[in-house]
Amino acid sequence: MNRLKLRRLWSPTPLKRHYDTIIIGGGVHGLATAYCLARTHGIRDVAVLESQYIGFGGSGRNTAIVRANQRTPENVRFYAEGLKLWRVLTDELDFNLMFFNCGNLNLGHSEAAMNAFRLAANTHSFLGVKSEVLDPQQCAEAIPGLDISDRPAFPIHGGLFHPPGGIVRHDAVVWGLAKGAAAHGVHIHQGCEVRGIDTDGARVAGVRTSLGRVGCNRLGIMAGGYSTAVAAMLGIELPIHPLTIQAMVTLPLKPFLHHVFSSGAYHVYANQTLKGEIATGAHMDPQVNYTTDATAYYLKHQAEALVELMPALRRVRFMRIWAGLADMTPDMAPILEGNLGYDGLYLDAGWGYFGFKSGPVAGKYMAEYMATGERPEMIRAFQLKRFLENRYSGETAAVMKYGHWD
Amino acid sequence: MTFRLTCPVCGKRDIREFTFGGQERGPRPEQPGLSAEEHFRWVQFRMIPGAGAEAGAGAEDAGAPAGGRADTRREWWYHGQGCGVWFRTTRDPMTNREVEGGGGQG
Ligand SMILES: Cc1cc2nc3c(=O)[nH]c(=O)nc-3n(C[C@H](O)[C@H](O)[C@H](O)COP(=O)(O)OP(=O)(O)OC[C@H]3O[C@@H](n4cnc5c(N)ncnc54)[C@H](O)[C@@H]3O)c2cc1C
Ligand SMILES: [Zn+2]
Repeated sequence: MNRLKLRRLWSPTPLKRHYDTIIIGGGVHGLATAYCLARTHGIRDVAVLESQYIGFGGSGRNTAIVRANQRTPENVRFYAEGLKLWRVLTDELDFNLMFFNCGNLNLGHSEAAMNAFRLAANTHSFLGVKSEVLDPQQCAEAIPGLDISDRPAFPIHGGLFHPPGGIVRHDAVVWGLAKGAAAHGVHIHQGCEVRGIDTDGARVAGVRTSLGRVGCNRLGIMAGGYSTAVAAMLGIELPIHPLTIQAMVTLPLKPFLHHVFSSGAYHVYANQTLKGEIATGAHMDPQVNYTTDATAYYLKHQAEALVELMPALRRVRFMRIWAGLADMTPDMAPILEGNLGYDGLYLDAGWGYFGFKSGPVAGKYMAEYMATGERPEMIRAFQLKRFLENRYSGETAAVMKYGHWD
Repeated sequence: MTFRLTCPVCGKRDIREFTFGGQERGPRPEQPGLSAEEHFRWVQFRMIPGAGAEAGAGAEDAGAPAGGRADTRREWWYHGQGCGVWFRTTRDPMTNREVEGGGGQG
């Protein structure tokens, strides 16, 4: 038993009356930003305030799929850099993030989908991101048991394969970043809910929390599905819809599925975890709600969709189902903004179901933005004002989508 | 978890019979001279639930957003797998449920 001696990843710290920088939200985005502020920019007087525990939000509930095969160049570039960071962070944090570089296969069930794949593959290769169009036979070779016959209601016409993507262990990312941030001096306060934001003229001055008032010079709102509620404390309205999104896992099976696969037509994506379970999602409620309720209806839908694509999965049982929030924007691209009407105020939100894969790279650029006050070129496309100028990002037309946004 | 909405024609029916039609936004702004910003604000910015004011108390519920509660929402729904009527109802984003007396209006 001695061999199992537990050691804390970081030591508790007292809540100070003032920090240079406060981050609201202990998810991947908040923790990655805090880590980069301290490690890269030498800003160590930083606190992450988390109302529950780190990873309580989407960061501890997602299906951990990472990839860079988005639709528009500004999104592809951004996620491609994000994909490269998993190996870097595994080294830097000295924490096994369990990046399983298995590649992602998106199935197309119509000629229109195949044309969208061809266009996407060209965009990807133009930007140096590996991506290739497969015919049905190649899909069946990649995914054993995939039914490529004419039997399914929507037969498989082919696929788009993206070798650099895969799965990362989400809890390890949260813990590793927290450990890394704390090692560089960041304070992490769990059970500390922000209830109000103080301003001093046109500047942010601090926050009112369940543990008292804390002053700051810079404030980052990185509260995932709760970001609209936090921004509303300053009267700031955001075009973000918090929607409940579900996922589930089966009993563990012997390893047989070596890639993530997904189908927009069937509203399903699936992969086999390193433990052997088939992890699969994701139904998203169309109507705004904070319930994070799972539904029997969705279990049934998921079983039908999986068995239709892969008949051998019939009789495999689901073991667990859960849900979290997706913070959806109208164009499925995030909002990374430092121009919100108050000096020192920053926002990193609106990730929808893309916020796990983007955590580290968003943290890198948000830290640079907060440290210098200059908006980095890489995230210029993600300004809030794009909506007001009618310049939506083109991500809603992407081929890999699972929600009612389709 | 499943729940029911009140159709003005059919009464209380399972949520799966309905299609969500977006938030009630009030009258469309006058078209002449309408800027992209005004149009977007009408379409999108009114859809945001949020507690707004600081509410110190509340949030005992682990899933509750900061400040305790989100506002209730007036929404359009379509009874596609029933009588086919479009109607409005008021729903609470904290519970997903219809607010008492909110349903059943054409
Ligand atoms: C079922 C499911 C599957 C998903 N699958 C994928 C996937 O495969 N790939 C992918 O890239 N993304 C996926 N996502 C999306 C991804 O999980 C999120 O976009 C991402 O975790 C957002 O991270 P975050 O740090 O912005 O927010 P979160 O992880 O939600 O963290 C925000 C934190 O802020 C805290 N908070 C809120 N209000 C306050 C307050 N007032 N004071 C203090 N703290 C507060 C919350 O407690 C929470 O811990 C999925 C999401 C779900 C729910
Ligand atoms: Zn009806």
